[in-house]
Amino acid sequence: MINVVYSSEHWIMPTIVIGILVILLAAIIITEGLARKKKGEAFFKKAGKFFIDKADFVKLFGTLVLFIAYIALVDVIGFTVTSIVFVFLFNLLYTGFSKKAVIMSVVISVVASLTISVLFGIVFNITLPSGMLSLTFTDLGITFY
Amino acid sequence: MIGISQVLIALLGVVAGLVFGAIPGMTATMAVAVFLPLTYAYDLNTALYLLLGLYVGGISGGLIPAILINIPGTPSSITTTFDGYPMAKRGEGERALKIGIVSSFIGGIISLICLWLFTPMLSAAALKFSAVEKFLIILFALTVIAALSKGQMLRGVFAGFFGVLVSLAGMFSVNNGYRLVPSFLESKMQDGFQLLPVLIGLFAIAQIFEEAEEGMRFKIEKVKDDEMDGSKTHFSFKDFKGQGINVIRSALIGTFMGVLPGVGGSAASILSYAQAKNFSKHPELLGTGVTEGLVASETSNNGLTGGALIPLLSLGIPGDSTTAVLISAFMLQGVQVGPLFITQNPVTWNTILIALLVCNVLMFVCMFYPIKWISKIIYIPGQRLYPVIIMICLVGAYATKNGRMFDVWTLLVFGVVGYIFGKIKIPASCFLIGFILGKDLENYFIQAISAQKGSLMVFFTRPIGWVIWLMIFASIAYAIYDNNKSKKQTN
Repeated sequence: MINVVYSSEHWIMPTIVIGILVILLAAIIITEGLARKKKGEAFFKKAGKFFIDKADFVKLFGTLVLFIAYIALVDVIGFTVTSIVFVFLFNLLYTGFSKKAVIMSVVISVVASLTISVLFGIVFNITLPSGMLSLTFTDLGITFY
Repeated sequence: MIGISQVLIALLGVVAGLVFGAIPGMTATMAVAVFLPLTYAYDLNTALYLLLGLYVGGISGGLIPAILINIPGTPSSITTTFDGYPMAKRGEGERALKIGIVSSFIGGIISLICLWLFTPMLSAAALKFSAVEKFLIILFALTVIAALSKGQMLRGVFAGFFGVLVSLAGMFSVNNGYRLVPSFLESKMQDGFQLLPVLIGLFAIAQIFEEAEEGMRFKIEKVKDDEMDGSKTHFSFKDFKGQGINVIRSALIGTFMGVLPGVGGSAASILSYAQAKNFSKHPELLGTGVTEGLVASETSNNGLTGGALIPLLSLGIPGDSTTAVLISAFMLQGVQVGPLFITQNPVTWNTILIALLVCNVLMFVCMFYPIKWISKIIYIPGQRLYPVIIMICLVGAYATKNGRMFDVWTLLVFGVVGYIFGKIKIPASCFLIGFILGKDLENYFIQAISAQKGSLMVFFTRPIGWVIWLMIFASIAYAIYDNNKSKKQTN
């Protein structure tokens, strides 16, 4: 029997689900602990390594930091310019600074960003993040994001 | 309903899907997610050709690297490496590829026939469902997740219910009360997290973080010419002689596994490979490069395509993460998937069947004849594609609700969440199914008990409800049995 009261109705399901999650969590800890005990290990195992061996932390956290900066700036500066800069930076991060790699990175970032910007923003008329470097041509009715 | 532009867009979808499928680390789900913004510009029918093309291409492309370099391009082609790679080593690369392509095609067609036959039947049954049965069927979907999370039963269920909890964040439509949302986000989270950024985050961005951690190494050794076609044994359709039962069994296993929500393609191909081995006259030869194993693996993973659409179109429950993207495509076009879908949208239903057929044929044509050139896809450097994928994912997330940065932050947050899930072994696909079904689960539950003044007995009084309860208990019992079995195997 559950008392359905209009004012607190929105908490019925979340409460039940949280209850189920707590029970499941307890079940996971107990069953896995007992399984370890059976094998002669401690009930609680030491936290395993989170990252893989030889993890590439520069690329991993570089991706995260670039991603955050990209999102933070894209609607301040405008889609096209921000994308050119960040697709270039992601490319550098993943492929390095050799002359050939850098040239390739420039080409990819400029071509890909312009293509997406024109195709989605102008041809398909999909809203893209706009900022101070976005241009609107009112008489043509188009925006270059 | 179908014109030249639809065929062209399907072709684009199939080829792009093949590229994503063939590059290890990129999946069919990623392909569909990346191309989703394009569908904002098209009507539903054209969008379906694109999305189904990506889906079929993405699932099929995985066989190329599996056979040629022993790395599955998608998780569902793991078992393709068992027999495909030894064949390539013997110099029968092209033959193996062609056997794989023909098997994929047949698997796709058989599952299409199942889709065509069973979806209307299931819809008709589901039409009789009241809120009680609808609640129970979602509960059933969540327990099936458990039954199939091999040896990870509790974590699978946990992920499913965690997904439900996250989906509840936001405003409850009946009394407009907020829950699970910090007050400064209330204005942005009226209807909670959007499905699309959550999904792209979990399945595309999380994957990019994983690849970044591994250092973005895409050095692929060149496949020697004599591995491709050095042997005297060439492909002929006679290779399929005596494979009839194997083909049908594998395609049906694939379709059935596709129907079950949250079960990935790898489970389907592993099961059908195991069955092929069980029924084989010479099981010891499987794994050394025989047609049988290759056929079993590739027929079943394309069998998924039709199978995963069955519960989506009849019950509104997606069979896998790729079809979950299709839900958002339907929602964007204002089409409701569920028991009424076929009767209310007969044209769309026919389009889906025709589009799936066209896409399978295109996949076959694009892969079978020019396979020598198509197989060069595996040399595309992934580290050059990922930055562009990040940009397109941002566009897709931003456009979800006509341009909100909040959805882009959601994308990143769930990218990180998906990455952490991978580390602590919580299956992201189970989480996603829970997330998609969570709000319905709540609505039906509240509806059912409100009508009975809060009495929970309502869930036990209707005969159809009993049948679903029976299915729920059966799947839990199977889960516990299977969980113990696979735990013993690992010890």
